[in-house]
Amino acid sequence: MADTLSPPGPVAVQRWQKTGAHLGEVLDALSNLRRQGAGQGAGTRTAVMTLVVVGGTDAEADSCLSSVRALGSHHPCRALMVRPEPDSTPAIDAEACLWQARTSDGTDEHPVFFEELHLRVGGQAASHLASIVGPFALADMPLVLWFPGPPPDPADPLLQVATAVLVDTRFASSDVAEVAHVYRTLLELANRQPVVDLSWARLQPWRELLAGLFEPEPARELLRGVRSVAVKGKPGPRHLLGGWLLAQLDLRTREVTLQDARHVEISLHAAYGEEEGTFVVSRDDTARAVWARATLSCGVAHSQALPLPDDSLTTALSAAMGNLRADRVWERALAAAATLAS
Amino acid sequence: MTTEAAFDNPLAEGLDTVRRAPPGVLVVFGASGDLTHRKLLPALERLSRRRLLPAAFAVIGIARTEMSDDAFRDVMVEAVPGAGPGWAEIVKNSSYITGDYAHPGTFSALAQRLGQVDEALGTGGTRTYYLATVPDVFAEVARMLGQVKLNRPAHPGATVRLVIEKPFGHDRATARQLDAALHEVFDEEQIYRIDHYLGKETVQNVLALRFANAIFEPLWTRNYIDHVQVTVAESLGVEKRGSFYEKAGALRDIVQNHVMQVLSLTLMEPASSIDSERIRDEKVKALRSVVVPQVPEVANIAVRAQYDSGWVEGVSVPGYRQEDGVDPHSQTETYVALKLAVDNWRWAGVPIYVRTGKRLQKRLTEVALQFKEVPHLAFPKAAAEGLHPNALVLRIQPDEGVTLRFGAKVPGQAFRVRDVLMDFSYGTAFLEDPPDAYERLLLDAMVGDPTLFIRTDEVDTAWQIVEPVIEAWSAGAAPLAGYAAGSWGPRQADTLIQRDGRQWRTP
Ligand SMILES: NC(=O)c1ccc[n+]([C@@H]2O[C@H](COP(=O)([O-])OP(=O)(O)OC[C@H]3O[C@@H](n4cnc5c(N)ncnc54)[C@H](OP(=O)(O)O)[C@@H]3O)[C@@H](O)[C@H]2O)c1
Repeated sequence: MADTLSPPGPVAVQRWQKTGAHLGEVLDALSNLRRQGAGQGAGTRTAVMTLVVVGGTDAEADSCLSSVRALGSHHPCRALMVRPEPDSTPAIDAEACLWQARTSDGTDEHPVFFEELHLRVGGQAASHLASIVGPFALADMPLVLWFPGPPPDPADPLLQVATAVLVDTRFASSDVAEVAHVYRTLLELANRQPVVDLSWARLQPWRELLAGLFEPEPARELLRGVRSVAVKGKPGPRHLLGGWLLAQLDLRTREVTLQDARHVEISLHAAYGEEEGTFVVSRDDTARAVWARATLSCGVAHSQALPLPDDSLTTALSAAMGNLRADRVWERALAAAATLAS
Repeated sequence: MTTEAAFDNPLAEGLDTVRRAPPGVLVVFGASGDLTHRKLLPALERLSRRRLLPAAFAVIGIARTEMSDDAFRDVMVEAVPGAGPGWAEIVKNSSYITGDYAHPGTFSALAQRLGQVDEALGTGGTRTYYLATVPDVFAEVARMLGQVKLNRPAHPGATVRLVIEKPFGHDRATARQLDAALHEVFDEEQIYRIDHYLGKETVQNVLALRFANAIFEPLWTRNYIDHVQVTVAESLGVEKRGSFYEKAGALRDIVQNHVMQVLSLTLMEPASSIDSERIRDEKVKALRSVVVPQVPEVANIAVRAQYDSGWVEGVSVPGYRQEDGVDPHSQTETYVALKLAVDNWRWAGVPIYVRTGKRLQKRLTEVALQFKEVPHLAFPKAAAEGLHPNALVLRIQPDEGVTLRFGAKVPGQAFRVRDVLMDFSYGTAFLEDPPDAYERLLLDAMVGDPTLFIRTDEVDTAWQIVEPVIEAWSAGAAPLAGYAAGSWGPRQADTLIQRDGRQWRTP
């Protein structure tokens, strides 16, 4: 987005690491890092949550952490990256780092400090992560578990320490049975605690644009007579959007068509009384924009264009962190998407 | 939009549609002027970029300058360099009417144009009239809108609102005349009076800090607070507005509106609900408890001054009387210091010191609550030399945040205490710039949230407070003092507060 602030990237001011560490040592090391950084102003802490990234591939975990750092000045967290390795030697390897970011309002700058901790947990302890994560949680602050890989088993006791769970359904597999399974698992999880889907946050501009097309009165009426909906996109987004429309508009599955494509596009045809209308939200790569267009048989036509929304992990994370709540509309969309996939 | 609309449109469920403008037309009076070009159009573009404008939306500009629709569209494009793709769409829907506000023909042309736009776009009869024009014509525009019946919604679902810019009158009498004229045509609920100060995030944060936290409010009383200092300092001079400023002065330009707004938020009682009317009721109540000064005492509680030449931020600058458009013998004040009192249960006996000026050392707005001294100091005097009473400072701009000054022990064998600052800065909300004041207020007006707009009784009460000062000064009470540009104001202002055994803060 053009009005995105780009604060100077955070810098690592203190580091510590140890293989085969006791948790007590790691906790002491974290306080020491702060004390050593006190000269640079790290004595006071501003933190809004403890964020724990669990599992995922190395690449996934890395991109999670760089997003967390990028948000550091606006949304400072204590970040933990936990790699459970039940099959390796029973030991905990730890690496801690104190980061400094800067907030700036153009005239004044303020340093903001936040800690990042990597824990590789080998052996049986890997199955008891709650006992490891708990001591690092900041008092009185939400604890968010982020699963960049497949969703966790809803019965995993680690989930009990969480205030909310972050997942990303963007990269759903092209195997529909697997997609349906992931969606059902997430629904079960959502029954227990708030689940926030980064993919859903990324799709918000599309949802807003489509919903906005129905704001004018003559278009609103047409929502009573939606005849067909087509959603294009990759498996994750197209199923989720298809599910959303299926559920919110109370359609029949055969009225929703899903089609594989690189980019999301939604089109909807409706007829009610004398009136007919077509509603399309699509992407225009040359203009780097998303278009929403409504054309009604009565002659009313309106359209809107937006700069192509920033679909980076950082932006999605920022949106999600600002709204760590259960989302019933997403849950309904997911349930309907599971039906579409099966 | 309301939750009812969200129910009607199942696709809007769960989306924060309450803060999006509904389909409608923005009619800009003064479309060829400076405010439109510099503030309104860029603010609109940012709203569209943030997905807060509807697809069915158009701007109709009206002013005397001859312009075709296309020429006005060019103006819209030029006003926002680097605009997003959504802007072109809004520009395409927009048009311009050339006409004088004194001519009925201008308004019948507007009525006709609005009808056409409704038909083509489905804007449904909802309009926001923005008076970005000279204050002399406010009443006339309202009257003419009434004559062609554009002052009321044509359909039950539509809304019609009128946004006006300060100044709201030149004094209490003219402010009342203006309101009477507006009220002949529009209901008070339709009128949105802008003080762009209220659109600032951090001014709203005063409410959040006070009423979202249990620990501050109990201390927010005469029992703990010694006095309050409000500072609105500018480092700029009058720039190109010399001739306008000559007629206004700091009291009218800043104290009557911005300072009174900040003060009412600081002094008000908690509202029973966040509902806009309840909040504004409390703000008015707070202003009504400010003791209206008596004309004869003005010389003792108010200081006026004008800047001389000096150095600001390393640059040599001329004095006020040497500025363009300023009378070389001008008596207009560019600085005001005031001591006010509040007569209510919470604030009785707590003096409020206000100062505002141009060409001061730096640009800054803050409210500082100075707490009382501890009743008894247990340490030897020497041990507490570096200790001052606690202060809670709400920094409004720049570097928005909160600072608390408190005493802590100096590390070491000896028992000595000194001041430390606990300093909190509001990070901007996540990745996006916080909305600028016009963006926020323009959207509020279109959405129909009047919380941050000034109600007629607020305007009137604020004038009531400053009017005796105007009266005394125009009768020659309190001579106009001078201060060097780049200083913190005249010596007389220091005397004003020092008489009470207090000091201005050095922010
Ligand atoms: N500029 C700012 O930054 C700023 C900041 C805060 C508040 N304000 C307030 O905003 C308002 C507008 O300020 P501004 O600086 O934009 O003034 P401006 O540049 O002088 O513009 C005045 C506009 O009003 C139009 N106008 C005046 N009399 C008219 C009439 N009889 N018939 C038709 N059109 C008429 C002018 O049109 P023509 O020139 O085409 O005739 C012009 O478009 C004022 O109330 C001001 O106090 C401005």
